[in-house]
Amino acid sequence: MSAGERTPILSVRALTTELRTEGGRFHAVDSVSFDLFPGEVLGIVGESGCGKSMTALSILGLVPRPPGRIVAGEVRFEGRDLVRLPERELQRVRGAKIAMIFQEPMSSLNPVFTIGEQIAETLRHHERLGRRAARERAVELLAKVGIPSPAERLDSYPHELSGGMRQRVMIAIALACNPKVLLADEPTTALDVTIQAQILDLLQRLQAELGMAVVLITHDLGIVAEFAHRVLVMYAGRVIEEGPVEAIFESPAHPYTQGLLASLPDLEGEIGRLSAIPGSVPQMGELGPGCRFAPRCGLVEPACLAADPPLARTGARAVACRRADLAAAPRERVA
Amino acid sequence: MSAAAPLVEVEGLTKSFVLRRGSGLGRPRLELQAVAGVSFTIDRGETLGLVGESGCGKTTTGRLLLRLLEPTAGTIRFAGREIQRLAEAELRPLRRKMQIVFQDPYGSLDPRMTVEEIVAEPLVVHGIGDRAERARKVRLLLDRVGLPAAWADRHPHEFSGGQRQRIGIARALALEPELLVLDEPVSALDVSIRAQVVNLLVDLARDLGLTYLFISHDLALVRHLCDRVAVMYLGKIVELAPKDALYREPLHPYTRALLSAIPVPRPGRKRERIVLPGDVPSPLRPPPGCRFHTRCPRAMEVCRAVEPPLLEVRPGHRVACHLHPGPTSEGARA
Repeated sequence: MSAGERTPILSVRALTTELRTEGGRFHAVDSVSFDLFPGEVLGIVGESGCGKSMTALSILGLVPRPPGRIVAGEVRFEGRDLVRLPERELQRVRGAKIAMIFQEPMSSLNPVFTIGEQIAETLRHHERLGRRAARERAVELLAKVGIPSPAERLDSYPHELSGGMRQRVMIAIALACNPKVLLADEPTTALDVTIQAQILDLLQRLQAELGMAVVLITHDLGIVAEFAHRVLVMYAGRVIEEGPVEAIFESPAHPYTQGLLASLPDLEGEIGRLSAIPGSVPQMGELGPGCRFAPRCGLVEPACLAADPPLARTGARAVACRRADLAAAPRERVA
Repeated sequence: MSAAAPLVEVEGLTKSFVLRRGSGLGRPRLELQAVAGVSFTIDRGETLGLVGESGCGKTTTGRLLLRLLEPTAGTIRFAGREIQRLAEAELRPLRRKMQIVFQDPYGSLDPRMTVEEIVAEPLVVHGIGDRAERARKVRLLLDRVGLPAAWADRHPHEFSGGQRQRIGIARALALEPELLVLDEPVSALDVSIRAQVVNLLVDLARDLGLTYLFISHDLALVRHLCDRVAVMYLGKIVELAPKDALYREPLHPYTRALLSAIPVPRPGRKRERIVLPGDVPSPLRPPPGCRFHTRCPRAMEVCRAVEPPLLEVRPGHRVACHLHPGPTSEGARA
């Protein structure tokens, strides 16, 4: 894919979101930049607290305030900057042009309304459909996401459905207005593996059918490898590596990405000792001026502690590490 | 394995939870059979993996084994002795020999206690050693699990998830057990931390000759850690085999689907993904015949009516499936 020649549908530039906690203020999302191209699946991968979910919430202006606040950056979508859009206008984008699904569908669905009412609400709000037309469209949507006997299911309440079925309903609501972009935040993390397979299958089919661009946020490197075209790796609020999925998994450049991939047990091949990354994920309050991974990095040098390295781009790939050289066979240099 | 008797022998283990007692007025009794007659053994020094999706009964099985729950039926032998009916007083000396590590490193440690109090608690309960001896032992245990002994006066909130799980492991080791039930011990941890704890568990098993029942939904991890693997579905073991056989040639359609459904971190790798239709049926009303038949891509007429027994179809490889009716019908393989 030649990313350079295409026009992105969504451009995030230097997005920075501050969180205030008892421990002080810190940047949960720290100068994050990326482009999302039409029809692509972009994986954002990282561990808890790395800022991947907060990035998605920031894009849609859904960061709870307080404690959160976007303090810098732009989110360009259809010629406008969503960060500076008034809430009323942002509401027209949210759910209609950019939709989002979450990890726990039970907490995103309202327990006191039937799923039919909840889908219809979205349709009537954004598409101004009448009651009857909304109901018909809701049946179509439930059928599209693979819910059996959709007309009867409209009258079910969320608690009457299984976790997998609830996630299908969330996807139906997300697709109600034919969004151009879908932000999927750990959409299968709460599900069992056979149900996860169903939902990922469904998302992949719908993505291809509708040509949506998808941002797939996950901690699961397997999911990224199988479903994303490109990937951003985040650590402690920053993007530390970016590139096409094949390239990143074949020759990860950042020591953190290398460490993560090496630490995974495998379903096939030799069983050896797992290679562990030492230390813990840093608490956001206690970050120094240097590279955030430096305290856990095997390649650390004094200069790494002095300044946080910028994300340096070489072709389709980018890495934020003083020790990584994308041009010079990264695997041999830093393995 | 060796000719010596297994450390753990479980036969026909069953656990029903009564959700509602029947009343004389026609309100039916509601009973959930979480574990429906499972049998397995664990040799000394062996790690047996118990895998399956939520609600399959794997966690209940682990608790029954330790008598943290009372079995409804079946026998449990630990070191040759039947323990399912032992009274608490008789059970007590045996409890020292079997311990558990829980999934949640946050909820399983009392936040008001210091690390020293947490790790020493089993010693206090069993009246082992005096104060000074216990303090010495705690320091050795902390060292053993890779935590600085100087941290003994700290409280759980001062530790990360991985460190808390090490504290939980130190507590489980305090009584020098022979068997550890590990219930999803790394599932709640971040990816970069999991490998540290997994390596620790491998080291401990090797250095202390421990026997593990490793309960997990993560099949890649189970392959890494276990010698043999039992796959559960709706309260039953559907397949039990040495690790290599199970991963190289899974026989039960459920095991196959489970393995094929795991996303692997190798982009571009074309794998055949078997996507099972539907949800796991409610354990309140398990399907008749084979419990898996409602989702099985290869279900036959007989599967709807007759429950397949767990049969040894190859040495050490057991499967409960009508496609594999016994050792002679090798040709019936998928």
